[in-house]
Amino acid sequence: MSKSFMMLAPVVIFFAVLMGMGFYIQKRSSDARAENYSKDYYIGGRSLGGFVLAMTLVATYSSVSSFLSGPGVAWQKGFGWVYYASTQVVAAFLVLGVLGKKMAVVGRKTESVTAVDIIRNRYQSDLLATISAIVIIVFFTTQMIGQFVGGAQIFSAATGLSYEAGLIIFAVVVVLYTTVGGFNAVAITDTACAIMMIVGMLCLAYAIITKGGGIANIMAAINEASETARATGEGFDMVSPTASNSIPVQLFITQWMLCGVCTIGLPQTNVRCLAYKDTKSVHRAMMYGTIVVGAMMVGMHLLGVLSRGVLLSIPEGASTDTVMPALISQYMHPVLAGLTIIGPLAATMSTISSLLIAGSSAIVKDIYLHHKEAKKEKVNQSVVGKISIGMTGIMGIAAVILSINPPDIIVWINMFAFGGLQAAFFWIFLLGLFWKKANRSGALWCIIGGLGSYIFVYITGITIGAFHNIIVGIVVGLICFIIGANTGKPVDDKIGRIFFPEKY
Amino acid sequence: MNKMSYKEKFVQMNKEAKATWIAAAVIIIFWWLAGFGVYGAFGTELKIFGMPAWFVLSCFGSWILSVVLVAFLIKAVFKDFSLDDELSEENSTEEEEIK
Repeated sequence: MSKSFMMLAPVVIFFAVLMGMGFYIQKRSSDARAENYSKDYYIGGRSLGGFVLAMTLVATYSSVSSFLSGPGVAWQKGFGWVYYASTQVVAAFLVLGVLGKKMAVVGRKTESVTAVDIIRNRYQSDLLATISAIVIIVFFTTQMIGQFVGGAQIFSAATGLSYEAGLIIFAVVVVLYTTVGGFNAVAITDTACAIMMIVGMLCLAYAIITKGGGIANIMAAINEASETARATGEGFDMVSPTASNSIPVQLFITQWMLCGVCTIGLPQTNVRCLAYKDTKSVHRAMMYGTIVVGAMMVGMHLLGVLSRGVLLSIPEGASTDTVMPALISQYMHPVLAGLTIIGPLAATMSTISSLLIAGSSAIVKDIYLHHKEAKKEKVNQSVVGKISIGMTGIMGIAAVILSINPPDIIVWINMFAFGGLQAAFFWIFLLGLFWKKANRSGALWCIIGGLGSYIFVYITGITIGAFHNIIVGIVVGLICFIIGANTGKPVDDKIGRIFFPEKY
Repeated sequence: MNKMSYKEKFVQMNKEAKATWIAAAVIIIFWWLAGFGVYGAFGTELKIFGMPAWFVLSCFGSWILSVVLVAFLIKAVFKDFSLDDELSEENSTEEEEIK
């Protein structure tokens, strides 16, 4: 058996299982879909249990960078980068603990299916809802393309297939199962993906520690590299938290916001608060999610550092993104390598599937169906089905085509998509659910001011010290929100009684 | 499962959200002290499992602390109740009104 065949076998089996899940879910949910298509297709009929909720949250959140770029940088900079990445440990329980139940309760009361439904019902503004849907569509599409590119690169680097072949193979799989299976398929495949990420991580840990000759030997190599760096000033002090001051303290502070606290505003993750079954599920998910996200973020980045004991250098001028694929293809048994490569592919696919289903819901549910409802036109459930499936497919295929040779503008937008979503939505969700004075004008000012200022500092290259630009978007957004809330019309009692019954 | 009115659920959820924020703040403070604090006090000489102590304490420590705090939250603060509004009488009429 050839090496590449042995390596591809586990990947192909995994892909087949994912497709099978998609079609099985489609078959199983035909009754539920006949009754209310959007509720089943876009939110899975609010049926997620604790384990699946936790896994889909973590899998969506951990993307190709958690497996590729992050550990690559850790290989170069050392333990400081793991410290930097460990800020993500709060991400799982924060969104569920703060927004989880409230979104579920008001979501059921207002029959909301998407994150934009919550915004529309809370602020009673079609303008705000439409802006939100457009922001979601633009950022999700560019992020999806970013993930497709990353996934295809790692696939081709590890298997030796061409970039295009790698892209087509795994893109077809993810677009297909998401399109036919809808949200439930996304959640179930995400769970499979999360499990395979852990498996991949364990295989990698085994390979690195045995090839490196044990922790003691690996640490000796790292200490030596650090001493050289301290003496010569070249390279990085791998055992200091700031990696020879290349990660300033201000960056740590903004990292807590960008990858910790403000992640509760991301619509692709907080929409899951509308999808779970009962309070027991959300409690369990907080626990499982925290265990898994911590293991994965600390574990993967630590493996990046330890791989320094195996792979001493990379070719001159090569990006640190090549560290992990090189490690997998050169130092692992082909079957084990195939199993490991599923990890980053799974991280990529689980992020894409969630972006795709949520992006499609923004077009179909938040724009098209709302438009029909506003005109009081009845829409047949089977028509909704055709449109939902069609739109998901079209969006997925468009993203794949754009990934073959991504236009510069998309690469550029993707750089600030993650922060942009937070700048746009963090306060809208948080204040919308916890501050009665939050109103339509505040939210509109916030999304325009917060996102606008964030994009503005990105374009002009203005920086505030060593802080990440997200701080500008969040602070300006808050100021705009407070001004708007104090000048605009307060929310009426009908909405107030739904979102803030404790104030009456 | 606790029977709660729609209003009582919101009082409870506000309490839960506040407790979650406090837990996050405790984790951030611990993370800072165990990382920069221990590094400042001991440098890289102090080691755990052969790795720098500041790293093990801050990264693995914050993770374990998070799990412990979440366990405390769901045991002591968070309560089970129905996510549907089964007690409220004006339930149906209100839903009609929003539409």
